[in-house]
Amino acid sequence: MIETSNDLRDTCAIVGIGNSRLGKVPGVSSLDLVVEAMRNAIDDAGLKVSDIDGILCRGPDEIYSHHQEVGGRLGINAKFSTTVTNGGASQILSVALATMAIKHGLATTVICGYGRDAWSRTHANEEARVRNETRPPSQLPREFGPEYGYYSAAATHAFGATRHMHLYGTTKEHFGHIAVAFREHALRNPQAQMKKPLTMEEYHAQRSIVRPFGLYDCSLRSDAAGAVIVTSRARAKDLKQPPVVIKGFGTHNNTKGWFADDNMVVTAAKQSGERAYAMAGLGPRDVDTAQIYDCFTYMVLTQLEDYGFCKKGEGGDFVASGALRMGGALPTNTSGGQLSEAHAEGVLQLVEGARQMRHAYPAHRQVKDAEIALISGHGGNQVCHSTLILGRA
Amino acid sequence: MTEAAKPVPPKPTPRPAPESIPYWEAAKQHRLEIPRCRACGGWWFPPSRSCPHCMSADVEFKQASGRGKVFSFVMYDRVYHPSFAEEVPYVVALVELDEGPRMISNIVGIPPEDVRCDMPVTVVFDDVAEGVTVPKFKPA
Repeated sequence: MIETSNDLRDTCAIVGIGNSRLGKVPGVSSLDLVVEAMRNAIDDAGLKVSDIDGILCRGPDEIYSHHQEVGGRLGINAKFSTTVTNGGASQILSVALATMAIKHGLATTVICGYGRDAWSRTHANEEARVRNETRPPSQLPREFGPEYGYYSAAATHAFGATRHMHLYGTTKEHFGHIAVAFREHALRNPQAQMKKPLTMEEYHAQRSIVRPFGLYDCSLRSDAAGAVIVTSRARAKDLKQPPVVIKGFGTHNNTKGWFADDNMVVTAAKQSGERAYAMAGLGPRDVDTAQIYDCFTYMVLTQLEDYGFCKKGEGGDFVASGALRMGGALPTNTSGGQLSEAHAEGVLQLVEGARQMRHAYPAHRQVKDAEIALISGHGGNQVCHSTLILGRA
Repeated sequence: MTEAAKPVPPKPTPRPAPESIPYWEAAKQHRLEIPRCRACGGWWFPPSRSCPHCMSADVEFKQASGRGKVFSFVMYDRVYHPSFAEEVPYVVALVELDEGPRMISNIVGIPPEDVRCDMPVTVVFDDVAEGVTVPKFKPA
């Protein structure tokens, strides 16, 4: 039994939501993209930048002082600020830290965001990509990988996919259902990077990358950023937008490693989710829409199991049932996700989950009557996880 | 120079962390030696200087059986590094040694399509360059 305090439940809200231009945005640095998203979030909230007194963000790996750079560009000092380095789990962790800081009086209004310029710079060409993927850098050891031709996050996650297929009979067709559903959602989103439909036949005919993954199993290379603003429920009442209530959150990090134990088939989403459900006083049956960290198709399938939307090993049948589609049992990654909207390390899943709770979308993008959204963040060296549960006021 | 004649760069060779040097030195002698704890008997990999099972600092490098099984694997069709252009498709596997630790390696001596999870494998030593030996695995 996991004991999770619920004294943070319903204490804070997301009151501003923004994203930058998405996809191919040449000539704009990742810092300027995140500031663009933050400006949009501040405008959305009806706040002045001087109202912001906390900054939590994740930057490109080489900028450890990222929050300071962001503060400089926003032109503010911060009561509470730091750079969060849990990879794709950082964005939800930022919201969790913001909630804790606000609850305990360390700040009143915290902006959380992330931006990257992967299309234009870090993954712009083969050389940049290999440089980016053969970390650690030159002065550090390089062993147990490159000498075997072991490169890329695709391969690391593909190990989990292979093992899951072996244990549970999961198939490529199952992964295809995820890619096809999210592409269909992207077509409803005018800002999404991918504009063309994807059929199951096209999925199966895709170029192979690292088996079992092909091109459409992999998330996009994007220039993209997103941001949200967190404040207390009391303060949220006076602001422009209907507040999106933070009902619960949880984290878990399998720091023994992705290759340890069964971590590649039972991810840290399990414990992270249990903690978030406990804080919110909710369970998987209460969730109306999920925004799942989809760096690769397989990662959606295993997280759906780990969050209890279906049993372990039954993720294939669950996604094949059409559950993830708009109108399905659990509309998931309703903006197109990182597979088809744009990849910004989970911040756009946070943005989309919060927007779904506002009920401000046109009908074809809105999950009908959605009251509860679950959002996941996954990253670091595949072992960091965070979960956020949002609701309507 | 035509594209076809473009020289293939050498494959990356290991640049060991200080704590891994005994592992690579043993590999040169065609022995698979990994860290083991004198206090609790636990094995682990990659090398570090205290036991992750009991935190004892009384540790040694000890020869492992070289036997294990494929915990999971992937097959590269894409060339990420030009030195592997002639190798695709090739298999990178996570091998679980009989002693327990798991290590990244290649599975050789079998068509890549025939590699399976839980398949028994045994170590082989590939002398890839002057003074550099890389442990790989073949079907047992």
